[in-house]
Amino acid sequence: MNSKRQSWFKRLFAVRGMGQVVTVGVGLIVMCVVFGIINPTFFSGKNVANLLRQIAPILLIGIGQSYVLITGNIDLSIGSVVGMSCMISATMMTKGLNPWTAVLLTLMCCLIVGAVNGLLVAKCKLPPFIATLGTMTIARGVAQIVNNNYNTDAIGDGAKGFRDFFYYGKVAGVYNTVIIAIVLWLVFNFLLSKTRTGRHIYAIGSNIEASKLSGVNIVATTTKAYLVSSVSSCVVGLVICATSGMGTMDAGNAYEMYAVAASVIGGVSTLGGQGILIGTVIGASIWGVLQNGLQFAGAPVAIRNIVIGAIVVISVLIDVIVRSGKFGKKNKVENQVLDQEALS
Amino acid sequence: MQEDIVRMQKIVKTFPGVKALDDVSFYLKSGEVMALLGENGAGKSTLVKILSGVYPKDGGTIEVFGSEIREMTTQKARELGIAIIHQELNMCQHLTVAENIFLGRERTRGLVLSEKEMNKEAAGILRRLNIDLDPEEPVGNLAVSKQQMVEIAKALSMNARILIMDEPTSALTSKEINDLFTIIKKLKKESCGIVYISHRLEELKHIIDRVTIMRDGRFITSMNFDQKRMEEIISHMVGREIKQKFPRVSCRKGERILEIRNLNAGRMVRGINLELYEGEIVGIAGLMGAGRTETTRAIFGADPKETGQIFLDGKEVTIHNVEDSIKAGIVLAPEDRKKDGLCTKLSIRDNIALPNLDVLCGKLGIVSRKKERKMTDETVDSLKIKLANAEVDAGSLSGGNQQKVVVGKWLARNSRVVIFDEPTRGIDVAAKVEIYNLMNELKKKGIGVLFVSSEMPEVLGISDRIIIMCDGKITGEMAATEATQDQILKFATQFDRKIS
Repeated sequence: MNSKRQSWFKRLFAVRGMGQVVTVGVGLIVMCVVFGIINPTFFSGKNVANLLRQIAPILLIGIGQSYVLITGNIDLSIGSVVGMSCMISATMMTKGLNPWTAVLLTLMCCLIVGAVNGLLVAKCKLPPFIATLGTMTIARGVAQIVNNNYNTDAIGDGAKGFRDFFYYGKVAGVYNTVIIAIVLWLVFNFLLSKTRTGRHIYAIGSNIEASKLSGVNIVATTTKAYLVSSVSSCVVGLVICATSGMGTMDAGNAYEMYAVAASVIGGVSTLGGQGILIGTVIGASIWGVLQNGLQFAGAPVAIRNIVIGAIVVISVLIDVIVRSGKFGKKNKVENQVLDQEALS
Repeated sequence: MQEDIVRMQKIVKTFPGVKALDDVSFYLKSGEVMALLGENGAGKSTLVKILSGVYPKDGGTIEVFGSEIREMTTQKARELGIAIIHQELNMCQHLTVAENIFLGRERTRGLVLSEKEMNKEAAGILRRLNIDLDPEEPVGNLAVSKQQMVEIAKALSMNARILIMDEPTSALTSKEINDLFTIIKKLKKESCGIVYISHRLEELKHIIDRVTIMRDGRFITSMNFDQKRMEEIISHMVGREIKQKFPRVSCRKGERILEIRNLNAGRMVRGINLELYEGEIVGIAGLMGAGRTETTRAIFGADPKETGQIFLDGKEVTIHNVEDSIKAGIVLAPEDRKKDGLCTKLSIRDNIALPNLDVLCGKLGIVSRKKERKMTDETVDSLKIKLANAEVDAGSLSGGNQQKVVVGKWLARNSRVVIFDEPTRGIDVAAKVEIYNLMNELKKKGIGVLFVSSEMPEVLGISDRIIIMCDGKITGEMAATEATQDQILKFATQFDRKIS
């Protein structure tokens, strides 16, 4: 039974997390239907467009966190990098800098954070929790100090093109933010599923020792994952800057946990080696729909936080229970019994 | 005339505090299988890890195919055609067979992985090696023995000219071992040089040409292999003569200590009934997957059971968890010493004290250091555990001494039944004897000894009575004096249900 080729349908539901993706996909549809029944304006063109625009940033940070989680690590600095990106770009623009130059410089700063995370974790062998907790604090500090501990002024009319590009503009009825998210998703999904780097990302999350012994460059691979994370955080920070037209120091607060939630709901395992980005799309969508729906229903922010926090805990709990049993001893021994056939 | 393809001379390697290799020399010819023998801690793994580039050497020279290699890395080793199959499985569980085989050297067309090609190639590799596996199966779904075959396929797919195998058969079934030996013989004909490390000395005669023996980080001798000179080989490994591999002690059989009635725990433990008397050692034989470990864990309370009564010295005891079992006096030395038997990062003293804290603590729950030290010293003395001091990490001890600590912590609380699961796995010849002596001491003291082992000679040599399990049931029982390997195997393969 090991050598028989399985039908495409069965293989679709193989290890790589498709089962969970389909399950939560169904959950998403149900959720939308429920919210639609409660308030039919949920399905209006305006709300859908807004909803997608709300989901886009969550998807972006979800992608970044998914990359890092699949390598078996975690990135707690996501929220702070979002804030840092927002503040740096806004500050530069208020000081008269061309918005696109500001974007470039902001990107470089965020890449530095990603590189530092990668080196701390892979080269200096710091536990990822501690390393990214450190960069999280530092990045937030940078966000605060960049404009002398004040939120910035409005970024001015010269930045209209910037604001349209990242937030207000539309193409064929779809907001730019959504298009940016889709494009980046396509790029990062391709990288993860079709390239050598992507394969190595799964490998080190699955078994870092085996990867090392097979010649996989652990430092490079880990750093690439953290760079993807900081790039997506950067983009989200720019989106927030474009949205509000200014820089706010606590932009992105707690975003890293939302990113974990989106990833884990979508089937990425906090234990590493598992998960696909299509799942993160569903996870981010569930998140967005939940936020949107609760907002529509008039729930206060506190309730939203509680609901969201509970969902994070439950998803990770399910993740750990299901995953650690999957390739654990129990299954192996059962397989050995099947193995005895060879002898009898 | 076969030439040397590997010449390692005067290799030195030091780890903090330990000189792992002291002027070791090693030669390998093309087309030969060289067994690298030695006790645990002799330096065999260290030596081959230096050859394969995993560790850098501190001194000495390495020549491969005639040219000196100044700095060996895993990359360079691979380029030279050196492949190593490690003792511990190094598979990425989430990746498929093909993905594992090509890990680190994936085929790409530009940026994109050529998945179809790699799957096809992997299928070809597996077929050539007579391994029946789907290359697109996630490795985590495979049995341990199959995973080891994937490991072997991976090494061989890299067109190795020099193949290092570190305990390759430890997880394999006998059919797979035969398949492996067939492959090795084929590689010999292709002028591959093979370094074979194994504690299973009985296997050597099938494939070994020469042996190199190490002891305490030093090169002792190298000679052509001859089954008749086995005792000489062992004495070189150990540095002294092992008079008797299996010291058997006969005791008068006394009262019944333990009775298990109708134990059922999942599909691996079905209707187990067994008895254990004073003055006897009972060995449980069987193939991998027979349910022996599961049975010991069910008795010990480590796994939940559906039915089953346990009687200790005639009185029924209720065991719902490990705590109950320990209090009752039934203890277990588990199969995976390092993972389940010890806290490797804690000191030896901490490990010995751990299950005995109720005895060592005063009224306020404060541990009495004095009592702790006394218990540790007594345990170390009576079991003759070799250590510098009791504060070192338990993980730093040799396999045999680790096992003694595992058992020692139970003996400190006067246990009634000690269950051993694979007591001498990964332990060298001399330390094995010490463990057997320990089991005999327990037997003499009237403590019940039950042990599970996959090494047939061990089961035949040490047990007084042998129980054989197959597919979750007990299929046979016999006195050791009447048992033969063939008989045991017959019962061990007596399946009563076809796997659907």
